[in-house]
Amino acid sequence: MIPSQMLKGTLENCILKVISKQETYGYEISQQLQEYGFTDIAEGTIYPLLLRLEKNGYITAEYRESALGPKRKYFSITPAGEKELETFIANWRELECAVNQVFHIGGKEDEH
Amino acid sequence: MNTKTRMLNRKNNELDQKLNKENSIVMTDMVCYLRVANISEYHQEMVRQDLLQMVLSAQQRSAYIKEVIGEDYKAFCDEVIAALPPISPKERFLDFADIILRCIAILGVINIIISKEMFELIRNAVTGQTLDYQLSISVGTLLSTAVIVAAASFIVHFIGRHSFDTQTTKSKSSLRENIMVGSVSGGLTAVILLLMLFAKQTLFTVNIFIACLFILGIYVAHKILQNRRL
Repeated sequence: MIPSQMLKGTLENCILKVISKQETYGYEISQQLQEYGFTDIAEGTIYPLLLRLEKNGYITAEYRESALGPKRKYFSITPAGEKELETFIANWRELECAVNQVFHIGGKEDEH
Repeated sequence: MNTKTRMLNRKNNELDQKLNKENSIVMTDMVCYLRVANISEYHQEMVRQDLLQMVLSAQQRSAYIKEVIGEDYKAFCDEVIAALPPISPKERFLDFADIILRCIAILGVINIIISKEMFELIRNAVTGQTLDYQLSISVGTLLSTAVIVAAASFIVHFIGRHSFDTQTTKSKSSLRENIMVGSVSGGLTAVILLLMLFAKQTLFTVNIFIACLFILGIYVAHKILQNRRL
């Protein structure tokens, strides 16, 4: 069964996926999400989601000096975060499959 | 505020100095709003640090704060507050008790210093007369202390809850609120002065050293409550 929370957590899990690739910081995450097609995703938009991911133990954060200016808060994924990501991917595929089925069948019916 | 939070607060105050005027105004509003939110002082400072680093980075990129936070600062703060663990009713009560104890300790010291018995004690000590260490506590002193503590608490919460209003509401409602705040403040000042002037009947007398020990006890209780926080 697809959890309803999944729909709300889509962006949250996309952030988790970006962090799983490599340690990164808020501004870089927002830039990457924009490159993937999430338009108008500012650093401030993802900040509350990063706090929630940290609170749930899916990521850890650490401040590090930056050669270019103020300190940066680097995020890295935890084993619990990796597990959460696997669950999300499985649920997402289930949802994707169900949606495709509905549209595919609907398409065929429309043709008749 | 415990040691860990106090250190973070100091660091944040230093970072705050690096903000430009426009960003400083917005940050002040956001911090005021977070101060009265149902989150711990440590989390308030942690979020403040994150926001300061975020805004300073944007400042360095010559980006506007609106590009980073969005147009609705209040909605942003509400989302941040919702993402943090709330403090329990017990913790909230202990925080409130801490504030009350701190206020009572400060007002107690002020009341002792400005009391007529203290002036007489100093005068008698200088002139070599018999020293009377008794301090009379009047109904007015107790009531005015209670009114000051309640008013201070109300004003802090009012400012925090309405920190974004000047940006979002029209000048008409701002004027109305300023009149309301002015009336409440003026009224309270009048009440306090009237209580101090006319409610002079002594409720009880106490030795000045015992009064000082009592205030010290309240201050120690405040410090214990302060240091228990995350």
